[in-house]
Amino acid sequence: MESKEPLSPHIQIYRWHISSLVSISHRITGIVNIIIITLICVWASLLLLGESKYETINFFLNSFIGKFIILGITWSFIFQILSEIRHLIMDLGYGFEPLITKITGLIVICGSIILTIIFYLIGKNFI
Amino acid sequence: MALINLPENSKVQKGKYFKDKTGSENLRKVNIYRWDPSTGENPRIDTYEVDMNNCPSKVLDILNKIKNEIDPTIAYRRSCAHGVCGSCAMNMGGKNGLACTKPHAEIDGDIDIYPLPHLKVKKDLIGDLDGLYKQYQSIEPWLKTNSKSETSEIIQSKKDREKLDGAYECIMCACCSTSCPSYWWNGDKYLGPAVLLQAYRWIVDSRDQERESRLKKVADELKLYRCHTILNCTSACPKGLNPAKAIAEIKKMLATANI
Repeated sequence: MESKEPLSPHIQIYRWHISSLVSISHRITGIVNIIIITLICVWASLLLLGESKYETINFFLNSFIGKFIILGITWSFIFQILSEIRHLIMDLGYGFEPLITKITGLIVICGSIILTIIFYLIGKNFI
Repeated sequence: MALINLPENSKVQKGKYFKDKTGSENLRKVNIYRWDPSTGENPRIDTYEVDMNNCPSKVLDILNKIKNEIDPTIAYRRSCAHGVCGSCAMNMGGKNGLACTKPHAEIDGDIDIYPLPHLKVKKDLIGDLDGLYKQYQSIEPWLKTNSKSETSEIIQSKKDREKLDGAYECIMCACCSTSCPSYWWNGDKYLGPAVLLQAYRWIVDSRDQERESRLKKVADELKLYRCHTILNCTSACPKGLNPAKAIAEIKKMLATANI
Protein backbone atom coordinates (compact mmCIF):
# COMPACT_ATOMS: atom_id res chain seq x y z
CA MET A 1 0.00 0.00 0.00
CA GLU A 2 1.30 3.41 -0.87
CA SER A 3 1.68 5.65 2.12
CA LYS A 4 -0.33 8.83 2.23
CA GLU A 5 2.72 10.89 3.06
CA PRO A 6 4.62 11.96 -0.07
CA LEU A 7 8.30 11.31 -0.60
CA SER A 8 10.35 14.48 -0.79
CA PRO A 9 12.16 15.05 -4.12
CA HIS A 10 15.70 13.73 -4.19
CA ILE A 11 17.73 13.21 -7.37
CA GLN A 12 15.34 15.54 -9.21
CA ILE A 13 16.48 18.53 -7.16
CA TYR A 14 19.91 17.70 -5.75
CA ARG A 15 22.67 19.69 -7.38
CA TRP A 16 25.50 17.75 -9.03
CA HIS A 17 29.08 18.44 -8.11
CA ILE A 18 32.37 17.04 -9.34
CA SER A 19 32.61 14.13 -6.92
CA SER A 20 29.09 12.87 -7.52
CA LEU A 21 29.57 13.21 -11.29
CA VAL A 22 32.81 11.24 -11.19
CA SER A 23 31.18 8.62 -8.99
CA ILE A 24 28.16 8.06 -11.26
CA SER A 25 30.37 8.11 -14.38
CA HIS A 26 32.61 5.53 -12.73
CA ARG A 27 29.62 3.20 -12.41
CA ILE A 28 28.35 3.86 -15.93
CA THR A 29 31.77 3.36 -17.54
CA GLY A 30 32.17 0.19 -15.47
CA ILE A 31 29.02 -1.30 -16.97
CA VAL A 32 29.91 -0.03 -20.47
CA ASN A 33 33.38 -1.57 -20.20
CA ILE A 34 31.98 -5.01 -19.41
CA ILE A 35 29.74 -4.81 -22.49
CA ILE A 36 32.69 -3.61 -24.57
CA ILE A 37 34.94 -6.45 -23.42
CA THR A 38 32.23 -8.90 -24.47
CA LEU A 39 32.01 -7.21 -27.88
CA ILE A 40 35.78 -7.36 -28.30
CA CYS A 41 35.59 -11.10 -27.59
CA VAL A 42 32.88 -11.48 -30.24
CA TRP A 43 34.99 -9.45 -32.65
CA ALA A 44 37.99 -11.67 -31.99
CA SER A 45 35.98 -14.83 -32.55
CA LEU A 46 34.57 -13.44 -35.79
CA LEU A 47 38.13 -13.45 -37.12
CA LEU A 48 37.89 -17.23 -37.15
CA LEU A 49 35.09 -17.02 -39.70
CA GLY A 50 37.41 -15.77 -42.42
CA GLU A 51 38.57 -12.76 -44.33
CA SER A 52 35.20 -11.48 -45.57
CA LYS A 53 33.85 -11.12 -42.05
CA TYR A 54 37.03 -9.35 -41.01
CA GLU A 55 36.68 -6.95 -43.91
CA THR A 56 33.13 -6.10 -42.85
CA ILE A 57 34.23 -5.24 -39.33
CA ASN A 58 37.26 -3.38 -40.63
CA PHE A 59 35.00 -1.34 -42.89
CA PHE A 60 32.62 -0.56 -40.04
CA LEU A 61 35.36 0.45 -37.60
CA ASN A 62 36.94 2.71 -40.22
CA SER A 63 33.69 4.56 -40.81
CA PHE A 64 32.90 7.76 -38.93
CA ILE A 65 30.59 6.02 -36.48
CA GLY A 66 33.11 3.24 -35.96
CA LYS A 67 35.85 5.72 -35.15
CA PHE A 68 33.52 7.56 -32.81
CA ILE A 69 32.73 4.33 -31.00
CA ILE A 70 36.41 3.43 -30.67
CA LEU A 71 37.20 6.86 -29.25
CA GLY A 72 34.32 6.44 -26.80
CA ILE A 73 35.65 3.05 -25.76
CA THR A 74 39.13 4.49 -25.23
CA TRP A 75 37.73 7.29 -23.10
CA SER A 76 35.57 4.91 -21.11
CA PHE A 77 38.53 2.68 -20.23
CA ILE A 78 40.85 5.58 -19.39
CA PHE A 79 38.19 7.23 -17.25
CA GLN A 80 37.58 3.99 -15.37
CA ILE A 81 41.28 3.49 -14.70
CA LEU A 82 41.91 7.06 -13.51
CA SER A 83 38.80 7.05 -11.36
CA GLU A 84 39.77 3.69 -9.89
CA ILE A 85 43.17 5.09 -8.92
CA ARG A 86 41.33 7.95 -7.20
CA HIS A 87 39.20 5.44 -5.32
CA LEU A 88 42.27 3.40 -4.32
CA ILE A 89 43.88 6.50 -2.83
CA MET A 90 40.64 7.21 -0.97
CA ASP A 91 40.56 3.65 0.33
CA LEU A 92 43.93 4.37 1.90
CA GLY A 93 42.27 7.25 3.73
CA TYR A 94 43.71 10.16 1.75
CA GLY A 95 42.17 12.91 -0.33
CA PHE A 96 38.88 13.46 1.49
CA GLU A 97 39.21 17.21 2.02
CA PRO A 98 36.58 19.00 -0.10
CA LEU A 99 39.15 20.97 -2.10
CA ILE A 100 41.30 17.90 -2.76
CA THR A 101 38.30 15.84 -3.91
CA LYS A 102 37.45 18.63 -6.33
CA ILE A 103 41.00 18.71 -7.69
CA THR A 104 41.33 14.92 -8.03
CA GLY A 105 37.88 14.78 -9.65
CA LEU A 106 38.94 17.41 -12.17
CA ILE A 107 42.17 15.51 -12.83
CA VAL A 108 40.12 12.40 -13.60
CA ILE A 109 37.74 14.24 -15.95
CA CYS A 110 40.34 16.36 -17.77
CA GLY A 111 42.97 13.61 -17.68
CA SER A 112 40.64 11.12 -19.35
CA ILE A 113 39.90 13.54 -22.18
CA ILE A 114 43.54 14.54 -22.67
CA LEU A 115 44.76 10.94 -22.61
CA THR A 116 42.07 9.95 -25.12
CA ILE A 117 43.32 12.64 -27.50
CA ILE A 118 46.92 11.50 -27.00
CA PHE A 119 45.94 7.87 -27.68
CA TYR A 120 44.10 8.98 -30.79
CA LEU A 121 47.11 10.91 -32.08
CA ILE A 122 49.47 8.03 -31.32
CA GLY A 123 47.16 5.61 -33.13
CA LYS A 124 46.74 7.92 -36.10
CA ASN A 125 50.41 8.83 -36.61
CA PHE A 126 52.40 5.83 -35.46
CA ILE A 127 50.35 2.69 -35.95
CA MET B 1 16.01 -1.27 -6.38
CA ALA B 2 16.72 2.36 -7.01
CA LEU B 3 13.57 4.25 -7.86
CA ILE B 4 14.54 7.32 -9.84
CA ASN B 5 11.04 8.75 -10.27
CA LEU B 6 8.85 9.92 -7.45
CA PRO B 7 5.73 7.90 -6.62
CA GLU B 8 2.44 9.16 -8.07
CA ASN B 9 1.30 10.84 -4.84
CA SER B 10 4.63 12.70 -4.52
CA LYS B 11 4.75 14.37 -7.94
CA VAL B 12 5.16 18.08 -7.38
CA GLN B 13 2.63 20.46 -8.90
CA LYS B 14 2.57 24.16 -9.50
CA GLY B 15 1.11 26.04 -6.56
CA LYS B 16 0.00 29.51 -5.64
CA TYR B 17 1.78 32.72 -6.53
CA PHE B 18 2.07 35.36 -3.81
CA LYS B 19 2.68 38.72 -5.44
CA ASP B 20 4.63 41.37 -3.55
CA LYS B 21 2.47 43.93 -1.75
CA THR B 22 5.18 46.20 -0.36
CA GLY B 23 6.08 47.79 -3.68
CA SER B 24 9.75 47.15 -3.09
CA GLU B 25 12.25 47.34 -5.97
CA ASN B 26 14.52 44.67 -4.57
CA LEU B 27 12.48 41.46 -4.91
CA ARG B 28 13.50 37.84 -5.01
CA LYS B 29 11.35 34.88 -5.94
CA VAL B 30 11.30 32.11 -3.37
CA ASN B 31 9.90 28.71 -4.40
CA ILE B 32 8.85 26.59 -1.47
CA TYR B 33 7.72 22.95 -1.35
CA ARG B 34 4.30 22.70 0.30
CA TRP B 35 2.25 19.71 1.33
CA ASP B 36 -0.77 19.80 3.56
CA PRO B 37 -1.68 16.44 5.16
CA SER B 38 -5.29 17.56 5.74
CA THR B 39 -6.03 17.64 2.00
CA GLY B 40 -5.65 14.72 -0.34
CA GLU B 41 -3.70 16.79 -2.84
CA ASN B 42 -0.20 16.27 -4.18
CA PRO B 43 2.66 18.46 -2.99
CA ARG B 44 3.01 21.81 -4.76
CA ILE B 45 5.52 24.59 -5.17
CA ASP B 46 4.33 27.97 -3.91
CA THR B 47 6.14 31.04 -5.13
CA TYR B 48 6.60 34.10 -2.95
CA GLU B 49 7.96 37.48 -3.94
CA VAL B 50 10.02 38.67 -0.99
CA ASP B 51 11.20 42.20 -0.30
CA MET B 52 14.95 41.78 0.21
CA ASN B 53 15.50 45.35 1.42
CA ASN B 54 13.98 44.44 4.76
CA CYS B 55 15.30 40.91 5.15
CA PRO B 56 18.38 39.77 7.11
CA SER B 57 21.02 37.63 5.46
CA LYS B 58 20.08 33.99 6.03
CA VAL B 59 17.57 31.68 4.35
CA LEU B 60 15.82 31.16 7.69
CA ASP B 61 15.22 34.91 7.83
CA ILE B 62 13.38 34.65 4.52
CA LEU B 63 11.22 31.81 5.86
CA ASN B 64 10.45 33.75 9.03
CA LYS B 65 9.58 36.80 6.96
CA ILE B 66 7.22 34.80 4.76
CA LYS B 67 5.57 33.17 7.79
CA ASN B 68 5.20 36.47 9.63
CA GLU B 69 4.23 38.76 6.78
CA ILE B 70 2.94 36.79 3.81
CA ASP B 71 1.69 33.28 4.54
CA PRO B 72 1.34 32.04 8.14
CA THR B 73 0.35 28.51 7.05
CA ILE B 74 3.89 27.48 6.09
CA ALA B 75 5.45 24.85 8.39
CA TYR B 76 9.15 24.29 9.08
CA ARG B 77 11.32 23.30 12.03
CA ARG B 78 13.61 25.85 13.63
CA SER B 79 14.91 26.52 17.08
CA CYS B 80 18.29 28.03 17.92
CA ALA B 81 18.92 29.97 14.68
CA HIS B 82 22.68 29.71 15.28
CA GLY B 83 23.64 26.41 13.66
CA VAL B 84 23.74 24.49 16.93
CA CYS B 85 20.47 22.58 17.18
CA GLY B 86 20.20 21.25 13.62
CA SER B 87 16.42 21.73 13.43
CA CYS B 88 16.24 23.82 10.29
CA ALA B 89 18.07 21.38 8.02
CA MET B 90 16.56 21.54 4.53
CA ASN B 91 17.44 21.59 0.86
CA MET B 92 18.20 25.09 -0.42
CA GLY B 93 19.34 25.83 -3.97
CA GLY B 94 19.79 22.10 -4.59
CA LYS B 95 22.05 21.50 -1.61
CA ASN B 96 21.35 20.43 1.95
CA GLY B 97 22.24 22.78 4.78
CA LEU B 98 20.97 24.65 7.79
CA ALA B 99 18.63 27.49 6.85
CA CYS B 100 19.95 29.53 9.79
CA THR B 101 23.59 29.49 8.62
CA LYS B 102 23.07 29.52 4.84
CA PRO B 103 23.30 33.06 3.41
CA HIS B 104 20.71 33.58 0.67
CA ALA B 105 23.26 35.64 -1.25
CA GLU B 106 25.08 32.36 -1.98
CA ILE B 107 22.12 31.09 -4.01
CA ASP B 108 21.89 32.29 -7.61
CA GLY B 109 18.58 33.08 -9.23
CA ASP B 110 15.32 32.05 -7.59
CA ILE B 111 15.64 30.48 -4.18
CA ASP B 112 14.30 26.91 -4.21
CA ILE B 113 13.55 25.44 -0.81
CA TYR B 114 12.65 21.78 -0.36
CA PRO B 115 12.52 19.46 2.64
CA LEU B 116 15.50 17.15 3.14
CA PRO B 117 15.56 14.72 0.16
CA HIS B 118 13.97 11.27 0.10
CA LEU B 119 12.06 11.48 3.38
CA LYS B 120 8.40 10.97 4.13
CA VAL B 121 7.02 14.48 4.40
CA LYS B 122 4.98 15.30 7.51
CA LYS B 123 4.05 18.79 6.36
CA ASP B 124 5.66 21.36 4.06
CA LEU B 125 9.39 21.41 4.89
CA ILE B 126 9.20 18.88 7.71
CA GLY B 127 10.59 15.43 6.90
CA ASP B 128 10.21 12.28 8.96
CA LEU B 129 13.57 11.37 10.54
CA ASP B 130 12.36 8.41 12.64
CA GLY B 131 14.32 5.90 10.57
CA LEU B 132 17.54 7.80 11.09
CA TYR B 133 17.02 8.06 14.84
CA LYS B 134 16.32 4.31 15.07
CA GLN B 135 19.57 3.64 13.24
CA TYR B 136 21.37 6.04 15.57
CA GLN B 137 20.00 4.06 18.50
CA SER B 138 21.18 0.82 16.90
CA ILE B 139 24.85 1.79 17.16
CA GLU B 140 24.41 2.32 20.93
CA PRO B 141 25.84 5.83 21.15
CA TRP B 142 26.99 5.75 24.75
CA LEU B 143 30.19 4.85 26.57
CA LYS B 144 30.41 1.15 27.34
CA THR B 145 32.76 -0.43 29.83
CA ASN B 146 33.12 -4.07 30.89
CA SER B 147 34.27 -3.30 34.38
CA LYS B 148 31.56 -3.43 37.03
CA SER B 149 33.81 -2.35 39.90
CA GLU B 150 35.26 0.76 38.28
CA THR B 151 34.55 3.68 40.55
CA SER B 152 37.20 6.14 39.49
CA GLU B 153 37.20 8.43 36.50
CA ILE B 154 38.44 6.93 33.22
CA ILE B 155 41.30 9.19 32.21
CA GLN B 156 41.79 10.13 28.55
CA SER B 157 45.04 11.57 27.27
CA LYS B 158 44.99 14.77 25.24
CA LYS B 159 46.17 12.80 22.23
CA ASP B 160 43.32 10.30 22.51
CA ARG B 161 40.88 13.12 23.02
CA GLU B 162 42.06 14.71 19.78
CA LYS B 163 40.86 11.63 17.89
CA LEU B 164 37.29 12.71 18.61
CA ASP B 165 37.74 16.09 16.95
CA GLY B 166 35.71 16.26 13.78
CA ALA B 167 33.29 13.61 15.08
CA TYR B 168 31.87 14.86 18.35
CA GLU B 169 30.78 18.21 16.83
CA CYS B 170 28.05 16.50 14.80
CA ILE B 171 24.60 17.88 15.62
CA MET B 172 22.65 15.10 13.87
CA CYS B 173 20.86 17.49 11.54
CA ALA B 174 20.72 14.75 8.86
CA CYS B 175 21.97 17.03 6.07
CA CYS B 176 24.63 14.46 5.14
CA SER B 177 22.53 11.29 5.27
CA THR B 178 19.72 12.78 3.21
CA SER B 179 22.20 14.07 0.61
CA CYS B 180 23.55 10.57 -0.02
CA PRO B 181 22.17 8.69 -3.08
CA SER B 182 23.13 5.39 -1.45
CA TYR B 183 21.08 6.34 1.59
CA TRP B 184 18.14 7.40 -0.59
CA TRP B 185 17.88 3.97 -2.12
CA ASN B 186 19.12 1.74 0.69
CA GLY B 187 18.18 3.85 3.67
CA ASP B 188 16.40 0.95 5.35
CA LYS B 189 19.64 -1.04 5.62
CA TYR B 190 22.57 1.29 4.96
CA LEU B 191 23.31 3.31 8.10
CA GLY B 192 24.23 6.48 6.22
CA PRO B 193 26.97 9.04 6.86
CA ALA B 194 25.52 10.68 9.98
CA VAL B 195 25.13 7.44 11.91
CA LEU B 196 28.42 6.00 10.65
CA LEU B 197 30.24 9.16 11.74
CA GLN B 198 28.79 8.58 15.21
CA ALA B 199 29.71 4.88 15.07
CA TYR B 200 33.26 6.02 14.31
CA ARG B 201 33.16 8.49 17.20
CA TRP B 202 32.51 5.61 19.67
CA ILE B 203 34.92 3.20 17.97
CA VAL B 204 37.88 5.58 18.34
CA ASP B 205 37.01 6.71 21.88
CA SER B 206 39.88 5.41 24.03
CA ARG B 207 37.60 5.09 27.07
CA ASP B 208 35.20 2.74 25.34
CA GLN B 209 35.91 -0.96 25.88
CA GLU B 210 33.57 -2.41 23.29
CA ARG B 211 35.60 -1.33 20.29
CA GLU B 212 35.79 -4.77 18.76
CA SER B 213 32.12 -5.61 19.03
CA ARG B 214 31.25 -2.16 17.70
CA LEU B 215 33.44 -2.82 14.66
CA LYS B 216 31.95 -6.26 14.17
CA LYS B 217 28.46 -4.89 14.35
CA VAL B 218 29.05 -2.27 11.68
CA ALA B 219 31.03 -4.62 9.36
CA ASP B 220 28.20 -5.44 7.02
CA GLU B 221 27.80 -5.33 3.27
CA LEU B 222 24.74 -3.12 3.58
CA LYS B 223 25.29 -1.21 6.82
CA LEU B 224 28.74 0.10 5.91
CA TYR B 225 29.93 -0.84 2.44
CA ARG B 226 27.10 0.88 0.60
CA CYS B 227 29.28 3.96 0.87
CA HIS B 228 30.70 4.48 -2.62
CA THR B 229 32.52 7.73 -1.82
CA ILE B 230 30.11 9.92 -3.73
CA LEU B 231 31.04 12.59 -1.15
CA ASN B 232 27.71 14.40 -1.18
CA CYS B 233 27.82 14.07 2.62
CA THR B 234 31.07 15.96 3.12
CA SER B 235 30.04 18.70 0.72
CA ALA B 236 26.68 19.07 2.50
CA CYS B 237 27.81 19.11 6.15
CA PRO B 238 26.97 22.55 7.58
CA LYS B 239 29.47 22.02 10.40
CA GLY B 240 32.37 21.34 8.01
CA LEU B 241 32.82 17.75 9.21
CA ASN B 242 33.90 14.87 7.01
CA PRO B 243 31.66 11.80 7.35
CA ALA B 244 33.14 10.24 4.19
CA LYS B 245 36.59 10.19 5.78
CA ALA B 246 35.21 8.66 8.98
CA ILE B 247 33.57 5.88 6.95
CA ALA B 248 36.85 5.31 5.09
CA GLU B 249 38.64 5.07 8.45
CA ILE B 250 36.17 2.42 9.67
CA LYS B 251 36.72 0.45 6.44
CA LYS B 252 40.47 0.76 6.98
CA MET B 253 40.21 -0.46 10.58
CA LEU B 254 38.19 -3.45 9.42
CA ALA B 255 40.68 -4.23 6.66
CA THR B 256 43.63 -4.19 9.04
CA ALA B 257 42.13 -5.63 12.24
CA ASN B 258 41.91 -9.31 13.06
CA ILE B 259 38.24 -9.71 13.82
